[in-house]
Amino acid sequence: MHQRMSHFIDALRIAGFAALLASVPVAGYAQSATADSYEPARTPDGQPDLQGTWSNAVITPLERPADLADKEFLTAEEAIEYERRRQEETNMDRRPDDAAADLSSAYNDFWWDWGDNIAVTRRTSLVIHPADGLVPALTEEGQQRSDARAERRRLHPADGPEDRTLSDRCILWVSAGPPMLPTAYNNNFQIVQTADHVLILNEMIHDARIVPLDGRPHLPSDVRQWLGSSRGHWDGDTLVVETRNFTDQSNFRGASENMRLTERFTRVADDVLLYEFTVDDPDAFTESWTVQIPARKTNDLIYEYACHEGNQSMIGILGGARAEEARAAEAAR
Amino acid sequence: MKTNPAILAATAIFALTAAPLRAHHSFAAEFDPNQPIQLRGTVTEVELINPHSWIHIDVTNEDGSVVSWAIEGGTPNTLFRKGINENTLPAGTEILVDGYRSRDGRNRASGRDITFTDGRKIYLEGSAPPAD
Repeated sequence: MHQRMSHFIDALRIAGFAALLASVPVAGYAQSATADSYEPARTPDGQPDLQGTWSNAVITPLERPADLADKEFLTAEEAIEYERRRQEETNMDRRPDDAAADLSSAYNDFWWDWGDNIAVTRRTSLVIHPADGLVPALTEEGQQRSDARAERRRLHPADGPEDRTLSDRCILWVSAGPPMLPTAYNNNFQIVQTADHVLILNEMIHDARIVPLDGRPHLPSDVRQWLGSSRGHWDGDTLVVETRNFTDQSNFRGASENMRLTERFTRVADDVLLYEFTVDDPDAFTESWTVQIPARKTNDLIYEYACHEGNQSMIGILGGARAEEARAAEAAR
Repeated sequence: MKTNPAILAATAIFALTAAPLRAHHSFAAEFDPNQPIQLRGTVTEVELINPHSWIHIDVTNEDGSVVSWAIEGGTPNTLFRKGINENTLPAGTEILVDGYRSRDGRNRASGRDITFTDGRKIYLEGSAPPAD
Protein backbone atom coordinates (compact mmCIF):
# COMPACT_ATOMS: atom_id res chain seq x y z
CA MET A 1 0.00 0.00 0.00
CA HIS A 2 2.68 2.40 1.07
CA GLN A 3 4.73 1.66 -2.05
CA ARG A 4 1.77 2.14 -4.35
CA MET A 5 0.86 5.43 -2.71
CA SER A 6 4.45 6.50 -2.99
CA HIS A 7 4.40 5.87 -6.75
CA PHE A 8 1.21 7.83 -7.08
CA ILE A 9 2.78 10.74 -5.24
CA ASP A 10 5.83 10.42 -7.44
CA ALA A 11 3.67 10.64 -10.52
CA LEU A 12 1.98 13.77 -9.23
CA ARG A 13 5.29 15.25 -8.29
CA ILE A 14 6.88 14.63 -11.66
CA ALA A 15 3.83 16.09 -13.38
CA GLY A 16 4.32 19.21 -11.30
CA PHE A 17 8.00 19.17 -12.02
CA ALA A 18 7.31 18.94 -15.72
CA ALA A 19 5.12 22.01 -15.56
CA LEU A 20 7.88 23.85 -13.76
CA LEU A 21 10.53 22.69 -16.17
CA ALA A 22 8.46 24.02 -19.00
CA SER A 23 8.35 27.44 -17.41
CA VAL A 24 11.74 27.73 -15.73
CA PRO A 25 14.76 28.52 -17.84
CA VAL A 26 17.72 26.50 -16.63
CA ALA A 27 20.59 28.91 -16.76
CA GLY A 28 23.61 27.54 -18.55
CA TYR A 29 22.01 24.28 -19.51
CA ALA A 30 20.51 23.54 -22.86
CA GLN A 31 16.92 22.53 -22.42
CA SER A 32 15.81 20.25 -25.14
CA ALA A 33 12.57 18.91 -23.79
CA THR A 34 10.21 18.94 -20.86
CA ALA A 35 9.53 16.06 -18.54
CA ASP A 36 5.98 15.38 -19.63
CA SER A 37 6.93 14.81 -23.26
CA TYR A 38 10.44 13.58 -22.64
CA GLU A 39 11.46 10.19 -23.92
CA PRO A 40 14.93 9.24 -22.75
CA ALA A 41 17.30 7.71 -25.27
CA ARG A 42 17.83 3.97 -24.89
CA THR A 43 20.96 1.97 -24.31
CA PRO A 44 21.63 -0.94 -26.69
CA ASP A 45 19.97 -3.11 -24.01
CA GLY A 46 16.80 -1.04 -24.22
CA GLN A 47 17.17 0.66 -20.85
CA PRO A 48 16.61 4.39 -20.43
CA ASP A 49 20.04 5.92 -20.93
CA LEU A 50 21.08 7.60 -17.68
CA GLN A 51 24.74 7.51 -18.53
CA GLY A 52 27.06 10.45 -18.24
CA THR A 53 28.28 12.78 -15.54
CA TRP A 54 25.78 14.60 -13.34
CA SER A 55 26.16 17.36 -10.79
CA ASN A 56 24.22 17.59 -7.55
CA ALA A 57 25.57 21.08 -6.86
CA VAL A 58 22.56 23.09 -5.73
CA ILE A 59 22.14 25.79 -3.12
CA THR A 60 18.64 24.81 -2.05
CA PRO A 61 18.91 23.86 1.63
CA LEU A 62 18.14 20.31 2.71
CA GLU A 63 15.48 21.53 5.13
CA ARG A 64 13.01 24.36 4.66
CA PRO A 65 13.93 27.51 6.60
CA ALA A 66 11.46 28.31 9.41
CA ASP A 67 10.32 31.58 7.87
CA LEU A 68 9.25 29.70 4.76
CA ALA A 69 7.28 27.11 6.68
CA ASP A 70 4.22 27.59 4.50
CA LYS A 71 6.05 28.25 1.27
CA GLU A 72 6.96 25.21 -0.77
CA PHE A 73 8.11 27.07 -3.89
CA LEU A 74 9.77 30.37 -4.66
CA THR A 75 8.59 32.58 -7.48
CA ALA A 76 11.04 33.24 -10.30
CA GLU A 77 11.81 36.68 -8.87
CA GLU A 78 12.34 35.32 -5.37
CA ALA A 79 14.59 32.60 -6.75
CA ILE A 80 16.88 35.12 -8.44
CA GLU A 81 17.10 37.21 -5.29
CA TYR A 82 17.63 34.12 -3.16
CA GLU A 83 20.51 32.98 -5.34
CA ARG A 84 22.13 36.39 -5.23
CA ARG A 85 21.92 36.62 -1.46
CA ARG A 86 22.97 33.04 -0.94
CA GLN A 87 26.11 33.62 -2.98
CA GLU A 88 26.89 36.62 -0.82
CA GLU A 89 26.37 34.66 2.37
CA THR A 90 28.53 31.75 1.31
CA ASN A 91 31.30 33.99 0.05
CA MET A 92 34.21 32.87 2.18
CA ASP A 93 36.21 35.98 1.39
CA ARG A 94 34.28 37.58 4.23
CA ARG A 95 36.08 37.11 7.51
CA PRO A 96 33.99 36.73 10.67
CA ASP A 97 35.37 38.46 13.78
CA ASP A 98 35.13 35.30 15.86
CA ALA A 99 38.34 33.31 15.41
CA ALA A 100 36.68 29.91 15.79
CA ALA A 101 34.09 30.74 13.13
CA ASP A 102 36.78 32.18 10.90
CA LEU A 103 38.86 29.04 11.24
CA SER A 104 35.84 26.86 10.46
CA SER A 105 35.35 28.80 7.23
CA ALA A 106 38.55 27.04 6.12
CA TYR A 107 39.64 29.01 3.04
CA ASN A 108 38.87 32.02 0.97
CA ASP A 109 36.24 31.72 -1.68
CA PHE A 110 38.24 30.46 -4.58
CA TRP A 111 38.43 26.95 -3.18
CA TRP A 112 34.69 26.38 -2.95
CA ASP A 113 32.12 25.26 -5.48
CA TRP A 114 28.67 25.16 -3.90
CA GLY A 115 26.91 25.79 -7.18
CA ASP A 116 25.15 28.98 -8.18
CA ASN A 117 21.51 27.96 -8.50
CA ILE A 118 18.64 26.61 -6.48
CA ALA A 119 16.87 23.48 -7.72
CA VAL A 120 15.12 24.01 -11.06
CA THR A 121 11.87 23.13 -9.31
CA ARG A 122 12.34 26.28 -7.18
CA ARG A 123 11.45 24.28 -4.09
CA THR A 124 12.48 25.83 -0.79
CA SER A 125 13.93 22.56 0.55
CA LEU A 126 15.38 19.37 -0.82
CA VAL A 127 13.19 17.42 1.61
CA ILE A 128 9.86 16.95 -0.17
CA HIS A 129 8.28 14.56 2.34
CA PRO A 130 7.12 15.19 5.04
CA ALA A 131 5.26 18.18 3.64
CA ASP A 132 6.90 20.60 6.08
CA GLY A 133 10.23 20.09 4.29
CA LEU A 134 12.00 19.01 7.47
CA VAL A 135 13.85 15.83 8.39
CA PRO A 136 11.53 14.07 10.88
CA ALA A 137 12.39 13.99 14.55
CA LEU A 138 14.39 11.09 15.91
CA THR A 139 12.57 8.41 17.84
CA GLU A 140 13.38 8.10 21.52
CA GLU A 141 15.75 5.25 20.70
CA GLY A 142 17.32 7.26 17.90
CA GLN A 143 17.80 10.26 20.17
CA GLN A 144 19.43 8.12 22.85
CA ARG A 145 21.81 6.67 20.28
CA SER A 146 22.62 10.14 18.97
CA ASP A 147 23.22 11.50 22.49
CA ALA A 148 25.47 8.57 23.37
CA ARG A 149 27.48 9.16 20.21
CA ALA A 150 27.86 12.86 21.00
CA GLU A 151 28.92 12.08 24.56
CA ARG A 152 31.52 9.61 23.39
CA ARG A 153 32.86 12.19 20.94
CA ARG A 154 33.04 14.76 23.74
CA LEU A 155 34.99 12.40 26.01
CA HIS A 156 37.18 10.91 23.30
CA PRO A 157 37.52 13.45 20.52
CA ALA A 158 40.80 12.15 19.10
CA ASP A 159 42.28 9.27 21.10
CA GLY A 160 42.85 7.48 17.83
CA PRO A 161 41.73 7.64 14.19
CA GLU A 162 38.54 5.68 14.88
CA ASP A 163 37.28 8.46 17.13
CA ARG A 164 37.17 10.79 14.16
CA THR A 165 34.31 11.19 11.71
CA LEU A 166 34.04 8.95 8.69
CA SER A 167 34.83 11.94 6.46
CA ASP A 168 37.96 12.76 8.50
CA ARG A 169 38.90 9.13 7.95
CA CYS A 170 38.26 9.27 4.19
CA ILE A 171 35.71 6.46 4.47
CA LEU A 172 32.37 8.10 3.61
CA TRP A 173 31.45 11.51 2.33
CA VAL A 174 28.09 13.23 2.23
CA SER A 175 28.01 13.67 -1.54
CA ALA A 176 28.61 9.95 -2.08
CA GLY A 177 26.49 8.49 0.68
CA PRO A 178 24.50 6.58 -0.12
CA PRO A 179 22.36 8.61 -0.15
CA MET A 180 23.98 11.47 -2.06
CA LEU A 181 23.58 15.06 -0.86
CA PRO A 182 25.09 18.30 -2.15
CA THR A 183 28.21 19.57 -0.43
CA ALA A 184 30.86 22.26 -0.75
CA TYR A 185 32.59 21.02 -3.89
CA ASN A 186 33.08 18.11 -6.29
CA ASN A 187 29.38 17.23 -6.36
CA ASN A 188 29.75 15.01 -9.40
CA PHE A 189 28.72 11.45 -10.07
CA GLN A 190 28.90 9.33 -13.16
CA ILE A 191 26.52 6.58 -14.19
CA VAL A 192 27.59 3.66 -16.36
CA GLN A 193 25.08 1.00 -17.40
CA THR A 194 25.40 -2.56 -18.60
CA ALA A 195 22.59 -5.03 -19.25
CA ASP A 196 22.64 -6.28 -15.68
CA HIS A 197 24.58 -3.76 -13.61
CA VAL A 198 24.70 -0.04 -12.95
CA LEU A 199 27.82 1.72 -11.73
CA ILE A 200 27.46 4.90 -9.69
CA LEU A 201 30.86 6.58 -9.42
CA ASN A 202 31.12 9.49 -7.00
CA GLU A 203 33.93 11.99 -7.30
CA MET A 204 34.09 12.28 -3.52
CA ILE A 205 35.46 10.29 -2.07
CA HIS A 206 36.04 8.17 -5.08
CA ASP A 207 33.44 5.52 -4.37
CA ALA A 208 32.23 3.21 -7.10
CA ARG A 209 28.94 1.60 -6.18
CA ILE A 210 28.24 -1.42 -8.38
CA VAL A 211 24.54 -2.22 -8.34
CA PRO A 212 23.30 -5.59 -9.68
CA LEU A 213 20.04 -5.46 -11.63
CA ASP A 214 19.64 -9.20 -12.02
CA GLY A 215 17.29 -9.83 -9.12
CA ARG A 216 19.84 -11.46 -6.86
CA PRO A 217 19.07 -11.22 -3.12
CA HIS A 218 20.73 -8.74 -0.81
CA LEU A 219 23.80 -9.81 1.13
CA PRO A 220 23.08 -11.80 4.30
CA SER A 221 22.06 -9.46 7.10
CA ASP A 222 25.24 -10.13 9.05
CA VAL A 223 27.38 -8.73 6.24
CA ARG A 224 27.58 -4.99 6.83
CA GLN A 225 29.26 -2.56 4.47
CA TRP A 226 30.08 1.15 4.50
CA LEU A 227 28.06 1.61 1.31
CA GLY A 228 25.50 -1.01 2.30
CA SER A 229 24.19 -3.66 -0.04
CA SER A 230 22.54 -2.15 -3.12
CA ARG A 231 20.20 -3.94 -5.51
CA GLY A 232 18.50 -2.28 -8.45
CA HIS A 233 15.58 -2.73 -10.79
CA TRP A 234 13.68 -0.71 -13.38
CA ASP A 235 10.28 0.73 -12.56
CA GLY A 236 9.19 1.94 -15.97
CA ASP A 237 11.87 4.42 -16.98
CA THR A 238 13.02 4.94 -13.40
CA LEU A 239 16.03 3.16 -11.98
CA VAL A 240 15.24 2.10 -8.42
CA VAL A 241 18.12 1.20 -6.10
CA GLU A 242 17.36 -0.31 -2.73
CA THR A 243 20.13 -0.36 -0.16
CA ARG A 244 20.37 -1.98 3.27
CA ASN A 245 23.04 -3.68 5.42
CA PHE A 246 24.60 -0.41 6.50
CA THR A 247 27.01 -0.42 9.42
CA ASP A 248 26.14 0.94 12.86
CA GLN A 249 28.69 3.70 12.22
CA SER A 250 27.28 5.00 8.94
CA ASN A 251 24.85 7.14 10.92
CA PHE A 252 23.25 9.12 8.11
CA ARG A 253 21.70 12.03 10.00
CA GLY A 254 21.08 9.79 12.98
CA ALA A 255 19.95 6.72 11.03
CA SER A 256 20.50 3.27 12.48
CA GLU A 257 22.18 0.31 10.82
CA ASN A 258 18.68 -0.86 9.87
CA MET A 259 18.07 2.05 7.52
CA ARG A 260 16.42 0.99 4.28
CA LEU A 261 17.25 3.42 1.53
CA THR A 262 15.34 3.63 -1.75
CA GLU A 263 16.86 5.80 -4.46
CA ARG A 264 15.08 6.66 -7.70
CA PHE A 265 16.86 7.99 -10.79
CA THR A 266 14.65 9.36 -13.58
CA ARG A 267 15.93 11.22 -16.60
CA VAL A 268 13.33 13.93 -17.11
CA ALA A 269 15.25 15.96 -19.70
CA ASP A 270 18.47 15.60 -21.65
CA ASP A 271 20.19 17.64 -18.98
CA VAL A 272 18.21 16.80 -15.84
CA LEU A 273 18.36 13.56 -13.89
CA LEU A 274 15.79 13.60 -11.12
CA TYR A 275 17.43 11.97 -8.11
CA GLU A 276 15.20 11.08 -5.18
CA PHE A 277 15.72 9.00 -2.10
CA THR A 278 13.52 7.79 0.72
CA VAL A 279 14.84 6.89 4.17
CA ASP A 280 12.86 4.21 5.99
CA ASP A 281 14.19 3.64 9.48
CA PRO A 282 11.61 3.20 12.25
CA ASP A 283 14.47 2.57 14.71
CA ALA A 284 15.70 6.12 14.20
CA PHE A 285 13.06 8.37 12.65
CA THR A 286 9.45 8.99 13.64
CA GLU A 287 8.45 8.67 9.98
CA SER A 288 10.04 8.01 6.61
CA TRP A 289 11.30 10.98 4.60
CA THR A 290 12.13 11.78 1.00
CA VAL A 291 14.61 14.10 -0.68
CA GLN A 292 14.54 15.28 -4.30
CA ILE A 293 17.50 16.75 -6.16
CA PRO A 294 17.28 17.53 -9.88
CA ALA A 295 20.86 16.70 -10.87
CA ARG A 296 22.24 18.52 -13.88
CA LYS A 297 24.22 17.12 -16.76
CA THR A 298 27.77 18.35 -16.79
CA ASN A 299 30.55 18.06 -19.32
CA ASP A 300 33.13 18.21 -16.56
CA LEU A 301 35.39 15.25 -16.09
CA ILE A 302 35.42 13.42 -12.81
CA TYR A 303 38.88 13.72 -11.30
CA GLU A 304 40.47 11.24 -9.00
CA TYR A 305 39.97 12.03 -5.33
CA ALA A 306 42.60 9.91 -3.63
CA CYS A 307 41.58 10.86 -0.12
CA HIS A 308 43.62 8.40 1.93
CA GLU A 309 46.80 9.04 -0.02
CA GLY A 310 47.13 12.64 1.00
CA ASN A 311 45.27 12.63 4.28
CA GLN A 312 47.71 14.82 6.18
CA SER A 313 44.82 16.18 8.19
CA MET A 314 44.46 13.04 10.27
CA ILE A 315 48.12 13.30 11.26
CA GLY A 316 47.56 16.93 12.16
CA ILE A 317 44.41 16.22 14.18
CA LEU A 318 45.86 13.33 16.21
CA GLY A 319 49.24 15.05 16.60
CA GLY A 320 47.47 18.19 17.75
CA ALA A 321 45.49 16.26 20.35
CA ARG A 322 48.67 14.62 21.73
CA ALA A 323 50.49 17.97 21.82
CA GLU A 324 47.64 19.57 23.74
CA GLU A 325 47.57 16.67 26.21
CA ALA A 326 51.29 17.11 26.78
CA ARG A 327 50.88 20.83 27.33
CA ALA A 328 48.03 20.24 29.78
CA ALA A 329 50.10 17.64 31.69
CA GLU A 330 53.01 20.07 31.85
CA ALA A 331 50.78 22.85 33.12
CA ALA A 332 49.32 20.56 35.80
CA ARG A 333 52.72 19.73 37.25
CA MET B 1 1.47 52.22 2.71
CA LYS B 2 1.39 49.31 0.33
CA THR B 3 4.17 46.77 0.66
CA ASN B 4 5.27 44.45 -2.10
CA PRO B 5 4.62 40.93 -0.76
CA ALA B 6 7.34 39.45 -2.97
CA ILE B 7 9.93 41.66 -1.33
CA LEU B 8 8.66 40.74 2.10
CA ALA B 9 8.92 37.06 1.31
CA ALA B 10 12.41 37.50 -0.05
CA THR B 11 13.51 39.34 3.07
CA ALA B 12 12.17 36.55 5.23
CA ILE B 13 14.20 33.98 3.35
CA PHE B 14 17.44 35.82 3.69
CA ALA B 15 17.13 36.30 7.40
CA LEU B 16 17.33 32.56 7.80
CA THR B 17 19.96 31.16 5.54
CA ALA B 18 23.19 30.85 7.43
CA ALA B 19 26.15 29.88 5.31
CA PRO B 20 26.95 26.21 5.87
CA LEU B 21 30.57 25.72 6.82
CA ARG B 22 31.90 22.37 5.77
CA ALA B 23 35.53 21.74 5.09
CA HIS B 24 36.30 18.15 4.35
CA HIS B 25 38.15 17.70 7.60
CA SER B 26 37.63 19.26 10.96
CA PHE B 27 39.68 22.42 10.84
CA ALA B 28 38.83 23.12 14.47
CA ALA B 29 40.53 19.85 15.45
CA GLU B 30 43.56 20.42 13.28
CA PHE B 31 44.27 24.12 13.74
CA ASP B 32 44.16 26.40 16.75
CA PRO B 33 41.85 29.43 16.70
CA ASN B 34 43.99 30.88 19.51
CA GLN B 35 47.06 30.89 17.28
CA PRO B 36 46.27 33.19 14.35
CA ILE B 37 49.30 33.63 12.18
CA GLN B 38 50.32 35.87 9.33
CA LEU B 39 53.13 34.83 7.04
CA ARG B 40 54.83 36.41 4.06
CA GLY B 41 56.75 33.82 2.14
CA THR B 42 58.07 32.57 -1.14
CA VAL B 43 56.53 29.51 -2.75
CA THR B 44 58.88 26.53 -2.94
CA GLU B 45 56.41 23.81 -3.94
CA VAL B 46 52.69 23.29 -4.48
CA GLU B 47 51.25 19.84 -3.83
CA LEU B 48 47.94 19.49 -5.64
CA ILE B 49 46.80 16.45 -3.70
CA ASN B 50 43.52 15.34 -2.17
CA PRO B 51 41.81 15.76 0.15
CA HIS B 52 43.65 19.07 0.60
CA SER B 53 46.38 20.79 -1.36
CA TRP B 54 49.51 22.09 0.36
CA ILE B 55 51.47 25.19 -0.52
CA HIS B 56 55.02 25.16 0.81
CA ILE B 57 56.66 28.52 1.45
CA ASP B 58 59.95 29.81 2.83
CA VAL B 59 59.58 32.61 5.33
CA THR B 60 62.57 34.83 6.09
CA ASN B 61 62.70 35.98 9.70
CA GLU B 62 63.96 39.40 10.80
CA ASP B 63 67.32 37.88 11.73
CA GLY B 64 67.72 36.52 8.24
CA SER B 65 67.02 32.88 9.08
CA VAL B 66 64.67 31.03 6.77
CA VAL B 67 61.86 28.78 8.05
CA SER B 68 59.74 26.53 5.88
CA TRP B 69 55.97 26.45 6.36
CA ALA B 70 53.25 24.26 4.83
CA ILE B 71 49.91 25.93 4.17
CA GLU B 72 46.73 23.92 3.73
CA GLY B 73 44.40 24.72 0.82
CA GLY B 74 41.30 23.13 -0.67
CA THR B 75 40.69 20.24 -3.03
CA PRO B 76 42.63 20.51 -6.29
CA ASN B 77 39.75 18.97 -8.27
CA THR B 78 37.79 22.20 -8.06
CA LEU B 79 40.88 24.16 -9.07
CA PHE B 80 41.39 22.05 -12.18
CA ARG B 81 37.84 22.89 -13.24
CA LYS B 82 38.69 26.55 -12.88
CA GLY B 83 41.71 26.16 -15.13
CA ILE B 84 44.30 26.02 -12.38
CA ASN B 85 47.20 23.60 -12.57
CA GLU B 86 50.63 22.97 -11.14
CA ASN B 87 52.11 25.84 -13.16
CA THR B 88 49.78 28.47 -11.81
CA LEU B 89 51.73 29.25 -8.67
CA PRO B 90 55.38 28.80 -9.66
CA ALA B 91 58.23 28.57 -7.18
CA GLY B 92 59.48 31.98 -6.27
CA THR B 93 56.05 33.61 -6.13
CA GLU B 94 55.65 35.70 -3.01
CA ILE B 95 52.37 35.28 -1.12
CA LEU B 96 50.71 36.42 2.09
CA VAL B 97 48.98 33.89 4.33
CA ASP B 98 46.51 34.86 7.02
CA GLY B 99 45.54 31.68 8.84
CA TYR B 100 45.83 29.59 11.97
CA ARG B 101 48.73 27.49 13.17
CA SER B 102 48.35 23.74 13.61
CA ARG B 103 47.68 22.47 17.11
CA ASP B 104 50.59 20.04 16.91
CA GLY B 105 53.12 22.88 16.87
CA ARG B 106 54.61 22.04 13.51
CA ASN B 107 55.18 24.80 10.97
CA ARG B 108 51.84 24.21 9.33
CA ALA B 109 48.89 26.53 9.03
CA SER B 110 45.46 26.74 7.48
CA GLY B 111 45.42 28.96 4.43
CA ARG B 112 42.34 30.85 5.56
CA ASP B 113 43.14 33.81 3.37
CA ILE B 114 45.90 33.59 0.80
CA THR B 115 46.73 36.62 -1.35
CA PHE B 116 49.45 37.89 -3.55
CA THR B 117 51.56 40.58 -1.95
CA ASP B 118 49.70 43.26 -3.90
CA GLY B 119 46.50 42.15 -2.19
CA ARG B 120 44.96 40.23 -5.07
CA LYS B 121 43.25 36.99 -4.14
CA ILE B 122 45.35 34.07 -5.07
CA TYR B 123 44.25 32.18 -8.18
CA LEU B 124 41.85 34.92 -9.19
CA GLU B 125 42.32 37.56 -11.83
CA GLY B 126 43.12 35.10 -14.57
CA SER B 127 45.16 33.03 -12.20
CA ALA B 128 48.42 34.62 -13.23
CA PRO B 129 50.97 35.55 -10.60
CA PRO B 130 51.78 39.25 -10.47
CA ALA B 131 54.19 40.56 -13.10
CA ASP B 132 57.66 41.41 -11.90
